[in-house]
Amino acid sequence: MTDLYLRVNDPYPLESAAFNGLHEFYVQLRDGRLTTTRCRDCGKVYWPPRKFCPQCLSDGFDWMELPSEGRVHAFCVQEAGVPQGFRSPLVFGVIELAGLRIFSQILCADAKKIALGQKVRFKPIEVESEPGGERRFLHAFEPVGGDAL
Amino acid sequence: MRRVALVAAGVTRFGARKAGLKDLIWEAGKAVFASNPRIRPQNIEGLVVGTVMPERTANQSHIASLAAECLGITPQKLSARTEHMCASGSVAIRYAYSFIASGLADLILVLGVEKLNLPNMDEALFNMGAGVDRDWEACYGVTAPPCFALAAQAHMAKYGTTEEQLALVSVKNHNHAKNNPYAHFQKGAELGQVLCSKMVATPLRLYMCSPITDGAAAVILASEERAKDLTERPVYILGSGQVVEGFSLASLHPDYSHWPPMKKAAADAYARAGVTAKEIDVAEVHDCFSIAEIIAYEELGFCEKGEGGEFVARGCSDYGGKVVVNPRGGLIGCGHPLGATGVAQAAEIYWQLRQEAGERQVPGARFGLTHNNSGMGEHLVVIYGAG
Repeated sequence: MTDLYLRVNDPYPLESAAFNGLHEFYVQLRDGRLTTTRCRDCGKVYWPPRKFCPQCLSDGFDWMELPSEGRVHAFCVQEAGVPQGFRSPLVFGVIELAGLRIFSQILCADAKKIALGQKVRFKPIEVESEPGGERRFLHAFEPVGGDAL
Repeated sequence: MRRVALVAAGVTRFGARKAGLKDLIWEAGKAVFASNPRIRPQNIEGLVVGTVMPERTANQSHIASLAAECLGITPQKLSARTEHMCASGSVAIRYAYSFIASGLADLILVLGVEKLNLPNMDEALFNMGAGVDRDWEACYGVTAPPCFALAAQAHMAKYGTTEEQLALVSVKNHNHAKNNPYAHFQKGAELGQVLCSKMVATPLRLYMCSPITDGAAAVILASEERAKDLTERPVYILGSGQVVEGFSLASLHPDYSHWPPMKKAAADAYARAGVTAKEIDVAEVHDCFSIAEIIAYEELGFCEKGEGGEFVARGCSDYGGKVVVNPRGGLIGCGHPLGATGVAQAAEIYWQLRQEAGERQVPGARFGLTHNNSGMGEHLVVIYGAG
């Protein structure tokens, strides 16, 4: 019963192929690559990845690798009131990368070192495995030292 | 379209209640029927229930029928549940409004109810993550505060809005809530208290955030013809608008201080009502965080873009100012039991336009407005007028 209760409280998406049509994204994350989908018909690149293009109505897509460095468009530090399963402080940011805006966690021991426009680098993080045992990953970013604008 | 009016309203005490979901439903039902003895549960033709997460907090779905049975209502025309995160209550009212306007029913009860407090507070916070994108946001522990924190930072950077101005929204709403026997907080607040309170998400401090609150509220809507039989002072829905543009932070307007869908929802509501922003006497707006109320002044047209901070600092949104905003205490003072909030806002406007709001009364109020959002890109505005 305790195990079942924790399972429904899991904060992470099910990433395995059985539960997630974007499974490939997580496979790439595990291998250290940040990717997204590009519409096979009109070429539009989306973030987050998606399987339907509202622009041309295509459901065809290809995975493309994104550059690993971007800049901080906005960020804040949550110091209290974080949900079960997380520890404050948490730094959240919107990262500008290849013309996309990517929401993510910024991994940083000292939030005072982060500034708007700061360069950050993609870093995959491993989180709790799925109930079926498959390893799970999320994308995150960490500051690139001494490059704040 | 037929005209539609509010003919009854009732709310429960909001707070960390020693009560379960059904207790709150019964309490709101008792209050709404007590407010108009000409209406009995057996007369209600339709029921719309706004509630967000009873599946998580009470392991309970099928809420409309549960509520119907609790209140002795046997809907003969329609029954529905609305879920639209923090705007669920206003969405429920808009459903009922359009059902009556279209002729599907003549008398509908709208209930908003939410039981959020659980034995484990961290789980209550966890549940709030269900309101953002699980795969791309909530997986990092994101709930509402960091999202609105980004709006506050953007507004401060672009328009020079200050921490003190953010705090003044909280001071006003906490002080308004002192006059509201249904509010979660009734002790008021001083500026220093707000500015010294714990930091939640930079720059939003604890007193600038709405709390985790339990509560319920109910209103009864009627066609104009039925309304005239049910009360001498119906309060009419004159117009409403709802615009949704962007769910996740990544897809919102890149300037988080700028909320175009709110301006559009308001424009639609004003046009349908034939009322301008200047004519609004009293407004219940969605101050889930104090920055949201400052941006609401601007997007609703109460002041120019960028002047929201000054607007509150000069007292323009308080009694004696240009428009009294959140006389019941807003979400910051009353608390925010998600599905109940929009319905409680409507109840307040009902009392205000009937001149029944007691110590909170805005003298001579004729036109009222409610605004509910469910994120920075999703807004619903309703405009009411005294009969």
